[in-house]
Amino acid sequence: MTGLLAQQESGQIDMARLRADRRRRLFDAMAAHGLDALVLGRAADVAFASGARQLWTAGARPFGPGCVVVASTGHVHLLSTWDEGVPPEIGHDDLFGLKWNPANLLGSLSAIPGIEQARRVGTDSYSPGFEQFLAAVAPDAEIVDAGPALGEARSAKSEDEVALIERAVAVAEAALTAMDDAVEPGATERDLMRAYLAAISRLGCMQPPTEGVACATPRSGPVTLRRLTSERQLGPGQLVVLNPSALYAGYEGGLGRTVAVGEVSPAAARLAARAREVLDAAIDRCRAGARGADLRSDDAAVIAYGLGLGVEAPVIGADVGGDAELRSGMVLSVQAWVAEEGVGGVLQRDAVHVVDGTPRVLSRYRSELV
Amino acid sequence: MARVSLGSAWGKGNIVHTVEGRPIPELPDLARMHRERSDRIQEQLHAQGLAGLVLLGTSAVSYATGAAQPGADSARAGLFRPVAVVVTGEPAPHLFTPYPEGAPGDLPPDHVHPPAFPDLDEGAAALATAVSELIPRGRIGIDELPHPLRAALAHRDVVSAGSVMVPVKLRKTADELACIRIAQRCNELAMCDVMPLLRPGVRQSTLTATFLDRLHELGDVSNGIDPIWQPMPASVAAGPWTTHGDIAFPTGSTGEVLRSGDVIWCDTGIHYEGYASDFGRTWLVGAEPTARQRAQYERWQDVTDAVLALCKPGVTALDLDRGAIAANGGTKPWIEHFYLSHAVGTDSAEMPLIGTDLGETFDEQQVLAPGMILVLEPVIWEDGYGGYRAEDIYAVTDDGWVSLSDFPYDPFARS
Repeated sequence: MTGLLAQQESGQIDMARLRADRRRRLFDAMAAHGLDALVLGRAADVAFASGARQLWTAGARPFGPGCVVVASTGHVHLLSTWDEGVPPEIGHDDLFGLKWNPANLLGSLSAIPGIEQARRVGTDSYSPGFEQFLAAVAPDAEIVDAGPALGEARSAKSEDEVALIERAVAVAEAALTAMDDAVEPGATERDLMRAYLAAISRLGCMQPPTEGVACATPRSGPVTLRRLTSERQLGPGQLVVLNPSALYAGYEGGLGRTVAVGEVSPAAARLAARAREVLDAAIDRCRAGARGADLRSDDAAVIAYGLGLGVEAPVIGADVGGDAELRSGMVLSVQAWVAEEGVGGVLQRDAVHVVDGTPRVLSRYRSELV
Repeated sequence: MARVSLGSAWGKGNIVHTVEGRPIPELPDLARMHRERSDRIQEQLHAQGLAGLVLLGTSAVSYATGAAQPGADSARAGLFRPVAVVVTGEPAPHLFTPYPEGAPGDLPPDHVHPPAFPDLDEGAAALATAVSELIPRGRIGIDELPHPLRAALAHRDVVSAGSVMVPVKLRKTADELACIRIAQRCNELAMCDVMPLLRPGVRQSTLTATFLDRLHELGDVSNGIDPIWQPMPASVAAGPWTTHGDIAFPTGSTGEVLRSGDVIWCDTGIHYEGYASDFGRTWLVGAEPTARQRAQYERWQDVTDAVLALCKPGVTALDLDRGAIAANGGTKPWIEHFYLSHAVGTDSAEMPLIGTDLGETFDEQQVLAPGMILVLEPVIWEDGYGGYRAEDIYAVTDDGWVSLSDFPYDPFARS
């Protein structure tokens, strides 16, 4: 037996080619930014650099070394006690095991060839005390923000990466169908979440990017888009936001639609049309060279964020990301949210590939309320 | 909790288990729990001479504020993160969150703020401004400094928040223990639905789908880790290569088809009110245990019994290590990269960690005290014949321990 588990499902994508391309982009970006080494802690950055399949856990954890990339040797070193799920280009000598004792971790990192000579070490985050820790490994190193280099390497996707995102979108669309089937008077938001989780799991994409996928919007009083699902029961005429995402081989795709429970009122139909109009206009402005502020609208709340190995920069909203520049090759999740007291709220969200020219919408699903 | 009856039994008989004189309640008093956690944080802030805390990690924010957020992968939980700012001398924390609906009812409304984006330049600058208003001077404890925030707080004296957060989380209050007990109960009930599916030909993804579906039917909980259903090899050599030559565990699940006779080590964990459960058992696919497999389980039970026999306030972690090793015939009964025991809290693995590479001296200094959690996870391994692993959660009480787990060891249970 060579392993207990399969490599990541590839979806007929040549994963070796995809990883080689990512690695080339990473080392190019390191060279362009004068980085001798990277110490990465965030799961998505570790996945990008190593291609390894990591155990999915919920939540954000403080920074710690999970992957070390050394420019002079061209090696990617990975925190992994075993070679299961580790691609063949990362050899056994490139793995360092899990330690609880910082002194032992220090020993593992110090043994990495080329790290001691590093002068500029980029990290994807930082924690108080890490400077002292790194000084014991690379005495002459200055710690710098690897963010710009990582952003450069990660944001413009290869065709293979976009194909994986498109597959994730397809899984999310399947989940949306399952959720839509579960919409009926008396069902709860949590029932819709269950339909979502069951659908993505059965398609082999068991890790939800977020469990916040359903929001029954109120028909009276202030309307806000809630992400925490509740036991609220759906009532006739209510507008329900279905907002699923999925991860396919690590890549995220998703879309959002709003459906009505039973009859669609004329006011609800007008709201839905406005959301779609605003979203279509925002999508049309997702072109290379555009700024985040170009996506905003007076008629709806437009939010956009990058998609790749999970969500990533840029984040564009009412108060952030106005200056963010859209670049060719980026994939964005773009959404428009409109709400009206006495009617409810409508969310429309699509995945958009920024290219030179007309943006490519990766999601395809009807936008009507029924 | 909706749709779930937790029963009334806290252990067997009429024994009242107390922590610092207080019985462990059936349901937590959340307002009291938040208040007592806040008191502990304030006490440590004073003791450490800190002017406040800035917390970014999911588990730390959950502990400090009681705020809920949807279960999410690390990328989303990082970019769209709730942030807590705790001011020394001010009991109520400040919460900056994209999920205002998750703010607890006992948090004053003027302490709930729009989201901060400390991982983005403009967000970090805005958060730094808010921090300088709330904590105008003095040393700040912080758990993570994304580079934009590091730059924005460059003029401030910042240290690790660990000196506050580790001690406050070490000993749970009775309400915290109730939360862990409920998390574990929901986790166990969801596993009850998974167990009958364990027949030849089932896919790991089907087990996960059933687990998640039942879990969210049970109540207001979120999943913490991709459920593990790992078929174990008979020998280390037949499994994945490892850095230390010991067993590879846990490895992630795929759509792998399970086969007759497979020995499955399962490991799942969920969160209730921020508190983690931890479920581990050895299951068999379409088979009854052999005499040797049954003996492995018996050995596991002997090790667990030996550790529990020692477990009470005042005993050191090293005493537990030694008791476990003695019960296993002189060999360490846990995996090299793990431990004999860890705790759960708002983190799925937190102090006390017992039997790690932190070493014997470290363990000798860890003294059990009421409210500490022990998730005992001994592993019995016979190379060539596989092994048995299970884990259960115990709390150290005023005069001993109480189990917060309640799940059978089928199909191995002692005859």
